[in-house]
Amino acid sequence: MKIKKLLFVTKFDDLCYNSLNSLLNLTKASLEHVVFLNVIEKEKVAMHRGAGYIKEEEVKLKETANIRFIDWAENLFELGLEVGAHINVGTLIPEIIKTIELEAPDLIVIGRSHKGRLEHLYSRSDVTELIRRISIPVLVFKHMNEDSIVPEKLFSRPLLATNWSKSSNQAVEYIKDIKGLIDELNIMHVTDEKNLKSKSTHSVQKIRKQERKKLDDLCDIFEENGIKTRSHVYVGDPEKEIIKAGKEYQASIIILGSSSKTSIIERWMGSITRAIADNSIFPCLLIPSK
Amino acid sequence: MNKKVLVVDDDPDVRTFILTVLEENNFIPIVAHDGVEGLEKIENEKPDLVTLDVLMPRGSGIRLYRKLKTDPSLKHIPVIMLTGIALKSFMRSQKTLSEFQGEKVPAPDFYLEKPVEPDELIDAINKSLG
Repeated sequence: MKIKKLLFVTKFDDLCYNSLNSLLNLTKASLEHVVFLNVIEKEKVAMHRGAGYIKEEEVKLKETANIRFIDWAENLFELGLEVGAHINVGTLIPEIIKTIELEAPDLIVIGRSHKGRLEHLYSRSDVTELIRRISIPVLVFKHMNEDSIVPEKLFSRPLLATNWSKSSNQAVEYIKDIKGLIDELNIMHVTDEKNLKSKSTHSVQKIRKQERKKLDDLCDIFEENGIKTRSHVYVGDPEKEIIKAGKEYQASIIILGSSSKTSIIERWMGSITRAIADNSIFPCLLIPSK
Repeated sequence: MNKKVLVVDDDPDVRTFILTVLEENNFIPIVAHDGVEGLEKIENEKPDLVTLDVLMPRGSGIRLYRKLKTDPSLKHIPVIMLTGIALKSFMRSQKTLSEFQGEKVPAPDFYLEKPVEPDELIDAINKSLG
């Protein structure tokens, strides 16, 4: 579960050095190696009507990316980190997967999807597409669009939203590995409103008590590992409540297990994970169940 | 006898350029596309000299250089760094790694910044090979 090697996927307008810099705290845990990936979309350099393949454009885009990567790499090399870079022409997700096969990273860092609602409906977001096809945690950054400042300590105040799934349990193991970076951890569970529909107050309170007990047991596990932890039960729509908790407890990052819904359900109904990763203002660490 | 030179670089244009220069000057070029393949070729081919890029996929030139210079059977092989990474950053990184690992490595024979002229490269190779 250790994050020794991370793959930083950037288009430069979505993720820049300040995002990378906020991750460098991971060197205090186990980070040793950073790999950059820039994917130049095929459409930018090839198959233009009447022009064919534009080699000069490819050279220009590759060198522009190379100059940025050299600049970033110099800083990381000086910190004693191992650094690698890939600049590929192709389609984003297949190129990410190809690079994963070559480099075997422990964490993927990407910016939020730039697709619109209609494109999401027909082609899914990059984040969803990626999570469906890999079994490595994905960290989604999105600060550039909100013009907000990247938290200097990305992992200082994480919020773990658990639904007690296998992937949520995996997230617990990841958090234990970065315990040295955490000032305070908040953990939460969102209970569906339907569960609270009952004629007796007693049965409703019982559900709350059960959820609270499970959260407190989880708190104990974290506390035993030296992580100061607080637990919270929320009721309602999970997407809204998780974002609300993030704001209330000033989360620096939201950590979620990623769903394993079938593609057709995911495409038409959407998933909580995707919705939070794509729409919330918080960086999100998505942990797969595999 | 012609000398074997291993070129470790991920950029195909740079590899083609160096290969042409080497062949025109009667060297036997061998290529590797990244740091991992570079180490394999060094161990298997035992080149007389290595030109080494720094920022590459699968293992950087910084780590490969350290491996070379700390391996008793390989440390005699001259290395010419050929890269866009500044010498200052290279030296600082080696200093940091030396502190971590408690083992110092010598400076490379030559440190050339890309792009390099053919004469400059051949001159560095000839001087390194003594």
